[in-house]
Amino acid sequence: MEASQLTDHISRRFNKDLEELRNNVQTMGGLVEAQLSRAIAAIVSGDSELGLKVANDDYKVNKIEVAIDEECSRILATRSPAAGDLRLIVAIIKTITDLERIGDEAEKIGFLASKLAAMDRPADAYRELKSLGNHVAQMLRDAMNAFARLDVEAAMAVVREDELIDDEYDAITRQYITFMMEDPRSIRRFMNVTWAARSLERIGDHAKNICEYVVYMVQGRNVRHTEITD
Amino acid sequence: MMPASWRKLLFGLALLLAAGGLIGWLYGYPVAGLLVAALAALAWQVRQLLAFDNALRTRDFDTFRYGEGIWQQLFSHFERDHSRSQKNKARYRQLLKEIRKSTDAMPDGAVILDANNEIVTCNKAAKILAGLKPKKDKGQRIDNLLREPALTSLLQKGDFSKSAEIRSPLRDGEWLNCRVVPYGADQKLLLLRDITERIQLNKMRRDFVGNASHELRSPLTVISGYLDSLAEDPHIDPGWEQPIEQMRTQARRMTHIVSELLELSKLESAGRASTSELVNAGGLLVAASKSWAGRDGVPEIHVRLESEALLYGNSTQIESIVGNLLSNAIRHTPPDGSITMTWRSDKKGADLIVEDTGEGIAAEHIPRLTERFFRVDRGRSRDDGGVGLGLAIVKHILNRHDGELHISSEPGAGTRFRCRFPAARVAAPEPVAAAGSGSGA
Repeated sequence: MEASQLTDHISRRFNKDLEELRNNVQTMGGLVEAQLSRAIAAIVSGDSELGLKVANDDYKVNKIEVAIDEECSRILATRSPAAGDLRLIVAIIKTITDLERIGDEAEKIGFLASKLAAMDRPADAYRELKSLGNHVAQMLRDAMNAFARLDVEAAMAVVREDELIDDEYDAITRQYITFMMEDPRSIRRFMNVTWAARSLERIGDHAKNICEYVVYMVQGRNVRHTEITD
Repeated sequence: MMPASWRKLLFGLALLLAAGGLIGWLYGYPVAGLLVAALAALAWQVRQLLAFDNALRTRDFDTFRYGEGIWQQLFSHFERDHSRSQKNKARYRQLLKEIRKSTDAMPDGAVILDANNEIVTCNKAAKILAGLKPKKDKGQRIDNLLREPALTSLLQKGDFSKSAEIRSPLRDGEWLNCRVVPYGADQKLLLLRDITERIQLNKMRRDFVGNASHELRSPLTVISGYLDSLAEDPHIDPGWEQPIEQMRTQARRMTHIVSELLELSKLESAGRASTSELVNAGGLLVAASKSWAGRDGVPEIHVRLESEALLYGNSTQIESIVGNLLSNAIRHTPPDGSITMTWRSDKKGADLIVEDTGEGIAAEHIPRLTERFFRVDRGRSRDDGGVGLGLAIVKHILNRHDGELHISSEPGAGTRFRCRFPAARVAAPEPVAAAGSGSGA
């Protein structure tokens, strides 16, 4: 299905509404991506001010989510869309929920960053966390690109990518457990860092969800909770 | 003069009709003879016409290639036009290829957008820099693919004199500068440039200034500490008193420079000033004038509060503006002169003005005043206590507050520094009026 086909309607007004809805989702995605990358920068560079700013800016994501949600309800009520349009609306309603959760996780990371900035910092400046963060940010970007391009292949690639994120998260947890056993005084700090890693891992899951909605939207088939075969 | 082919056609026709008429007349039916001849001529022309059409379709023009008849003539016209347009087409195709090759060779990414910000086409660099896919992304909105809030707001606001700096969507730590150039009817050209190097250089410079001033601070503290105790030591040789005093002055001066450099580098890395904290700018003017009043060699300071509006911003930074402008004015105004500080507001914003009746500044120096370490008179001694960073700091703070610095001066008559804040930064006064106006020094 082409992007233009989604919005091939007699009513130009409806066309415009759907197009605008898609654009708003992308705007929200961009905001969430920016929040995530700033949160990662804050935790890696130990910038408490930036971390707090990320935490304080989460309301912007929430605001845009509510606006899109209302617009979706309005379209459902007034246009009773069918087939591809209905799938588009359903996918958008689900996508913005996941985006909003990603925003919440970024807020959490920002808050943890401001807390961690006041504590000791390891010499490698949480390199493993940065690598995980960049990986997740890339995944989210690919997911939003797949959404914009309605690209099923790219979406499936992101879904597969999530397994790597899970592995990376496991490795980080093991590493931190070792650190904590070596030096019990660092437990408080590493608990916080582990929470941040956990948030990043969750963001990976949400990005994966978004990609599954893309597959649903384009092909009408549900690939959630199934083994990846193709 | 008629072309040969026309003559041949008309002559042949006339001859045929004449022959037909003559034969008919011989047999007693001249009209029927003419008619038969005319029909024969028509049949022959129709046959030729069909043959020509067939030749066009099959591209086999052998029957028409040679000879001087009207049909051969038509064919040669046709062939000439045809080959000319073929040649043109090939030339345009070649030209287009060259243009595409050259745009692909450009180091900057170029994306052509239509009125809805949808991608019409983009070059190779756009693919390399921003991950756009020239074929697949045709018709996609650019802000759906490059989702940076800065770019989105640039496209929405439509003010294309500004550019946006965004993170590279492909590589961590790289930055892109986005410029939008509108052209034609609602078309736009989006230019993407890799500015990673510039950003890094800027950061290095900032870090260097910050680190260097920080590192200079501790040795300076030690030096001034020892100088202070030496100055108070009663056993010191009186001949050393003068040099020690001078060393103390210079050490103080250096401390001053270092702390101003640190303030500048902090300002440079800080973002926009807060828009939630309220600052009583008028109150700061009164406080600053009181702290200087009554000292030796300080000219008279007047404060005029014409507005009770408050300012959204950082109070320490606004205080720094007032302090810098006032100490500047005091340094350049003779003790018998006067300094006036004004706080006023209107619908479009608010002004913080510091005027003096000092020596003034020549017009050619005014644009450079806010440069670091800029001196109007290089030869003049630096003993007046100025460091040369004050106005740079003022300008940076104003930038952080969306404000502007306007300087006007008349040599010999005085100078006027006006800090203009936009309306969005100005808050209506609180219901309970705080400071009265017209306080003096």
